[in-house]
Amino acid sequence: MTFDDVLPYLVALGRCVFAVVFVMQILPLLIWAERKGAAYIQDRPGPNRAHVMGIRAAGLVHTLNDVVKLIMKEDIVPGHVEKRYWAAAPVIAMSVALCTFIVVPFGDNFMGYQLKVSDIDGGLLFVLAATGMGVYGVMLAGWASNNKFSLLGGLRASAQMVSYELSMGLSAVVVFLIAGSVSLSAIAEMQAGAIWNWTVFTPMGFIAFVLFWTAAFAETNRTPFDLPEGEAELVGGYHTEYSSLRFALFFMAEYANMIVASSVTATLFFGGYNLPFVTPAQLREHADWVLMAAALAAPTFVYFAYEANKRKQRPFYQALPAGDARLKEPMVFVGLWLGAAVAHVGIGIAGALGLASKLSLNFISFGYLESTAVFGPDLVTAIVGITVLAAKILFGCWFFIWVRWTVPRFRYDQLMDLGWKRMLPLALGNVMFAAIWVAFFPTGLISTLFGSK
Amino acid sequence: MALPAARKMSSGMSAGESIYLVEMLKGLALTMTHIIKNIFDQDRFRTVEYPDVRKSMTERYRGAHRLLLRPDGKVKCVACMCCPTICPAKCITIIAGEDPNDAAEKFPVEFDIDMLRCIFCGFCVEACPKDAIRMDTRIYEINAYTRQAMVHNKTYMVNLMDGLKPPAEEFYRANPDNAPAGFAGDEPAVPVGQPFVNLAAGAEASGAGRAR
Amino acid sequence: MPKVKINDVEVDVPAGTNMIEAAALAGVEIPHYCYHPNLSIAGNCRMCLVDIVGGRAPEIACNMVAREGLAIRTDTPNVKKMRQSVMEFLLVNHPLDCPICDQSGECRLQDYYMEHGNYDSRGIEEKVSKHKRQDIGDKIVLDAERCVQCSRCVRFGDEVTETGDLRLMNRGDHTEIGMFPGERLEHHYQGNLADICPVGALTNKDFRFQRRVWYLRETASVCNGCATGCNIQVCHQEGEVFRYLPRRNDAVNKSWMCDHGRDLVPGIAGLNRILRSKVDGQAVDVEAALSSLAARLKAAKTVGVVLGNRATNEGNWALLQAVRKNLPNAKVYAVAGNDPGSVEFADKLLIDADKNPNSAGVRLLAGVDGRVGDAADLGSALGSIDLLLVLQDDVLGRLAGHGKPAAVAFLGVSKNATSEAANILIPVCHTVEMDGSYVNRTGRVQRLRRAVTAAGDALPAWLVLERLGAKLGAAPGTGMVATAFNAMAKVVPAMKGMEFKALGDAGLPLAVEPAAVAATEALA
Repeated sequence: MTFDDVLPYLVALGRCVFAVVFVMQILPLLIWAERKGAAYIQDRPGPNRAHVMGIRAAGLVHTLNDVVKLIMKEDIVPGHVEKRYWAAAPVIAMSVALCTFIVVPFGDNFMGYQLKVSDIDGGLLFVLAATGMGVYGVMLAGWASNNKFSLLGGLRASAQMVSYELSMGLSAVVVFLIAGSVSLSAIAEMQAGAIWNWTVFTPMGFIAFVLFWTAAFAETNRTPFDLPEGEAELVGGYHTEYSSLRFALFFMAEYANMIVASSVTATLFFGGYNLPFVTPAQLREHADWVLMAAALAAPTFVYFAYEANKRKQRPFYQALPAGDARLKEPMVFVGLWLGAAVAHVGIGIAGALGLASKLSLNFISFGYLESTAVFGPDLVTAIVGITVLAAKILFGCWFFIWVRWTVPRFRYDQLMDLGWKRMLPLALGNVMFAAIWVAFFPTGLISTLFGSK
Repeated sequence: MALPAARKMSSGMSAGESIYLVEMLKGLALTMTHIIKNIFDQDRFRTVEYPDVRKSMTERYRGAHRLLLRPDGKVKCVACMCCPTICPAKCITIIAGEDPNDAAEKFPVEFDIDMLRCIFCGFCVEACPKDAIRMDTRIYEINAYTRQAMVHNKTYMVNLMDGLKPPAEEFYRANPDNAPAGFAGDEPAVPVGQPFVNLAAGAEASGAGRAR
Repeated sequence: MPKVKINDVEVDVPAGTNMIEAAALAGVEIPHYCYHPNLSIAGNCRMCLVDIVGGRAPEIACNMVAREGLAIRTDTPNVKKMRQSVMEFLLVNHPLDCPICDQSGECRLQDYYMEHGNYDSRGIEEKVSKHKRQDIGDKIVLDAERCVQCSRCVRFGDEVTETGDLRLMNRGDHTEIGMFPGERLEHHYQGNLADICPVGALTNKDFRFQRRVWYLRETASVCNGCATGCNIQVCHQEGEVFRYLPRRNDAVNKSWMCDHGRDLVPGIAGLNRILRSKVDGQAVDVEAALSSLAARLKAAKTVGVVLGNRATNEGNWALLQAVRKNLPNAKVYAVAGNDPGSVEFADKLLIDADKNPNSAGVRLLAGVDGRVGDAADLGSALGSIDLLLVLQDDVLGRLAGHGKPAAVAFLGVSKNATSEAANILIPVCHTVEMDGSYVNRTGRVQRLRRAVTAAGDALPAWLVLERLGAKLGAAPGTGMVATAFNAMAKVVPAMKGMEFKALGDAGLPLAVEPAAVAATEALA
């Protein structure tokens, strides 16, 4: 067996690991953002007590504490549950959330390999199918808990997901029509280049985006549509009977769903991994310039370091007794930010020296390895793609959080009213409108009128 | 009897509001303003970062009770029972005794306040005809590992007057003679999961089960 | 029946009634300190001053005997002003002792100040100080400063106990209540001094500082100290009895009771109580004890049953029923006399030589039954009895020196010689723990009321015996004391027509009918 025989399996494994790790790394960040965002919206400091050797990292350590807590907690199995289904429910919820991620492209091809887990032809259809599976986790949890509150929560969740899936699917159809493909890679490629290539900047695309995004809130059970776990009337909803890591799985599945919803939305409507006005081809061509541009971030980091230094004067630090571990915290942050600035300057210098366009295995190993295929530009393109997509995902997730702490929960009849009487007709009309539009402007309004791509 | 006619549920919203989107954006703008303000000026927070920063209470704050002494060193309290009478939480227990050498005749042999029950209403201070009890210590950290240590007794409350401020538990451990009945150092006096009093044995031991 | 008019309300009052009582009949309260219905009129507190319609000047109501056409007013500004002035005058030298004064809460000065005083103090001079905290007797502490010189205690000593021990001395502001030097209160009615004192000058040593009176609840009952059956209020809080107070009943005890009666209070929750039922020394529950008692009663050849002079009528009746219906061979006795250890003292006033509260009731039931032996019968038969069932009385103590029965079953309140010898021991309720009735020495049926919950496993004797009857075979009673009494009243001729509810607070005298003469002869 040669290396080339094993390579496809290694690549497949690497893609899977990457997808899971990508989601799992964003998760704690989101939990932190939720808490800190809620706190700042409500004019309070939010989590800031837990620390490791005096480093509190603006409350990020709390997430670490949470993980430890959830693992250490007693795993209570109530006597009245349907044990098998009850135990399966959180696993289904979490794995379905992660599954959805496999068709999302992270960037343009890297050395001929697509940057996504699996190139399923169905693409977007798979996303819709997988999110449809997600309801099983919640429904099973509600039913198997053998508890009227949980059951009601599960019922609400399934009814709500079924209702909103229609609008969601119809909005996606609009994107199919525009892109002429259901493959997310193709949809992302279609949006490369000028910013008006993004689907959201077409009339029907915008409407589709609003509908899709609203439906995403319902699909992920987030406020204002988080009725399945309406604690005022249903205790904890479908996860009332869960504790410890089983609860953690539901908790993480909610955030994983947010990440998935954001990534799909970003890909469908916001150009996916594409930077506006810069195509992947252009990135490849000017990889060194991209590296040099990274140096532009350095002053920002220096400013952060300056701000971190100023924090020493806050009354909180003044009140701490001498020798408190937290006293060294501001200086640690100053060091970190300055380090980041230096690193970025270094990257810029590397770009200036034209390293990106020379990067190959032969180059890295000072001639010891023989492969001379230059992968520097591809690597830069991939990193930029992943970063851009991650930024779009994070903004999407932030929007979820932002909305949650802004608006109150809908009433159930309002929720159904909105889903069936308003969004569904609008989505249907939008599909017809899109079909007509695409018939007249097959490559988009601006491209069709001005002939540029 | 005819059923009442079905009423169309009116949301009371204008057409613009019923689209939700505009109102939603308004709300989002409002919350974002708060976030931005708070990021750039963290001193806006009114939060007191408690164990590190402590709030100093006002003069009128009702904290832990203390018992006042007369110039001759005896407690002012004459066990008139006004405070246990007015106490809405029924947390004050006074056992009165007669002091043959004192013109005041009556004094509290025991004066216990169960801080687990106390609701800090201050009625006891208002009711006291002798200005013997006050809540002006401004102590608000009242906690212990056992129920027994949550009972502030006469000796402890008298000592609070000297600016002495140990938690009751520490004080009782240092002065075991003055600790309330059942207070046992480090261990909880009542093992977890055990009934408080063995009713059958207790009744037999204390005669009719209601000894004075 | 003179007709008088009080504040426009016309009432017919019995001849000789004073106007305080007449006003009370009309629903008008006239405040007073020195007037007491069972003492002579002194008229020195001046609190009961009222206006006479058409009269020349105000007069004191306590000394004003109702006569036809007399009309008084208690609501004129003049009367209000007079009351306020009297209050101010009485309080001029009164110390502000309320926080340490036992009278707080039942003090006339406090009550009337709030009702009729309510003036702003004009006092700028030093108060006259007098002798405080004087130990003048075994039961009483005297604080002369608090006294308002009403002289009730003086009259009590002169008229009721006829000991003449307390006196008002000196004059004017310096008038002071006190005893002659070196003297102490010696009589057996000292507790009443604290009761009649309208202020805190005379307080009870036993109750001193024990509990604030506003915590106490009162239940009307009857003292179980002797055959007199004084009417009392049982003052209790949360299941604990703190004191007995006399309750006015002019047919029995007027407003008084003796100190021996008050001394019974500690015994209610005392260490001497029987709390758990025992069979041959083994603690068992009441049902098991009753079952084995029933079995042994059936098995025994000669059974002796002793009615309880200390038990209620209902208890004795239930015992008689259980025995007569099921144990035809059993002999029933009633043993007169006092338990060993009881106070050997008697006088003409209230204290009877017979220390059993219900001897008359037992004699009455024995007369109805007709086959009840007396102490002498039991004494001679004692050694030959296989099982002696005793209700409450310390029979073995009373018959010390006679033989011993083979086995004893005792239903009792406190431990004594009989309970020590008992093979089967069942606790029953103390007087204050149950409803029921006693017959006192004059043949008055008086009602007990349950004031506190029973100690330990104790149940009312009548209930225990009804259950015993059920176990022996007779139909059980209804489990209600009123039903038990009414059933008994139907059979006992002297109680003809009595109903438990109708006994009320004052009790009812036994009817003396030809058929019941045999039973009631002994009552005299």
